[in-house]
Amino acid sequence: MTAETSSPALVRHAALLRRRDLLRRLRFSLVTVAGALAFVLLWHLVSQIDGVSRFMLPPPIDVWNAFLRLSTRPYLGGTLWEHTRDSISLALIGWVLAGVIGLPLGVMVGWSEKISRMVMPLFNLIRPIPPIAWIPIVIIWLGVGTTARAFVVFLSAWVPFVLNSAEAVRTVDQVLVRAGRTLGARNRQILTRIVLPTAMPMLVTGSRIALGNAWMTLIAAELLAASSGLGFIALNARRTFDTDVILMAMGVIGLFGAGISFALRGVERLIAPWSAATVRKTA
Amino acid sequence: MTTIVDERRLALKGTLSESMGSAVPFLVVLAFWFAMTHGPWALEPLLLPPPESVLAALWRLVREPFAGSTLAQHILSSVNRWGTGFLVAVAFGVPFGIAVAWNHTFRSAVKPIFEVIRYIPPFAWIPIMIVWFGASTAAQAAVVFVACVPPLVLNTERGIVGIDRVLYQASRNLGARTGATLWRVAVPTALPTIVTGMRIALSNGWMALMAAELIVGKQGLGYLVIAGQQNGNTSVIIVGMVVIGLVGVAADWLIRGFSHRLTAWRRGIEAHA
Repeated sequence: MTAETSSPALVRHAALLRRRDLLRRLRFSLVTVAGALAFVLLWHLVSQIDGVSRFMLPPPIDVWNAFLRLSTRPYLGGTLWEHTRDSISLALIGWVLAGVIGLPLGVMVGWSEKISRMVMPLFNLIRPIPPIAWIPIVIIWLGVGTTARAFVVFLSAWVPFVLNSAEAVRTVDQVLVRAGRTLGARNRQILTRIVLPTAMPMLVTGSRIALGNAWMTLIAAELLAASSGLGFIALNARRTFDTDVILMAMGVIGLFGAGISFALRGVERLIAPWSAATVRKTA
Repeated sequence: MTTIVDERRLALKGTLSESMGSAVPFLVVLAFWFAMTHGPWALEPLLLPPPESVLAALWRLVREPFAGSTLAQHILSSVNRWGTGFLVAVAFGVPFGIAVAWNHTFRSAVKPIFEVIRYIPPFAWIPIMIVWFGASTAAQAAVVFVACVPPLVLNTERGIVGIDRVLYQASRNLGARTGATLWRVAVPTALPTIVTGMRIALSNGWMALMAAELIVGKQGLGYLVIAGQQNGNTSVIIVGMVVIGLVGVAADWLIRGFSHRLTAWRRGIEAHA
């Protein structure tokens, strides 16, 4: 509707609709707050039932206190923030390694049919084995140290790197490539000036999925072979019946997982603002 | 009709030559593996056993129990927990997703909490499940459940929200009540998306189950692999890993066939659209 055609009545009507929409949204956000409060209250009430001990389900306030306690005092060799730092740095190391190897490999697979024929059958052979199932043999190869965990994280993260970058390069519009050739571009220029920029949104998406996988797998690896980290304290708090610490560690793991995801979505929007739109359109 | 047959034959020929081509890299790897484990430079069998001893381990596992059970028993017990957790997750997650998509108030109340909990990876649930269910089969099935629920809920919701509003309006116009609109229009139309959710859920659940079996349990493929590690039997580990991969692929293959059949009625529509 353009300004010329809008009469005062229409303007008033639009304002009314806007106000109604705002009220609607306000009501739903109130419901959200009520839902969250009800959840915490229910949790609290269940934890107060006679048959439910603090060991089975500590009340929410205990979990919060565990968070405050561990933030300052060390638990199993470090404060909460030291454990978190260990977890995050390992996830990042594995992720960066996976990107350094997986991105170029994926680009090559997408670029050249020959390389794809060589690499993909092996890749598809290894891929169905969950990265977690590698942990025992990795322990034999590398021991239970940092290297072993970084390797398992690497295994989980390089799959989305390879698959997404291969797909991104393969699906670049051929018209663009042909136009480039017509204008005299060499292979190398086509790759760096046409294919890579066009493929960028999917490359970023791949790295986001990879980081999510890395974080998830790291937690599993820390359950099995670690002496610090969030997964490590979650599993070992069980031995000392500190269920509040388990729940607190789960919360921190979830929060950082969500934080990672949001941060990378932000990066996605920054590097390739058009990607969110395209993904939504094709999804 | 003849063109269809020709196309099929052509496709078959294509896959044949393709699989012949993809056999080459396998053979190269096999030869490399063989070379690395034989001769004076051979790796220690603990690090990498030769291919033939992995085959021998497979044969032994088929006939004799290792870590308390034969290979078939390990597979069965894993699949059993996997199926239990998955089915319970479907029974909960699909109706939950429908409710979230259908009712705006319910969505506002529940979805944010769900979104927060969803970011806790299934593996992080393992310790608390052990507290709640003991180091038992139930704990493992519960971990599978937790791993399966998010993709089921999200895909069901997406499937129902994404339905063309015209379909609803048409069914209402034709006199359908809410219940009929839901069961006869919304759910069937959303079915392919829901089945995609099931596929993701199955694969997530399998991964989570393997992690759970590595940590607690006395039976199952994950347990077989960790028992192989504790006994220093790398051949058993490799057999276990391969079987884990194969079972995962087989299940995905089954559910794809199932969904193909389930949504057969759509293909005619899509072809004409």
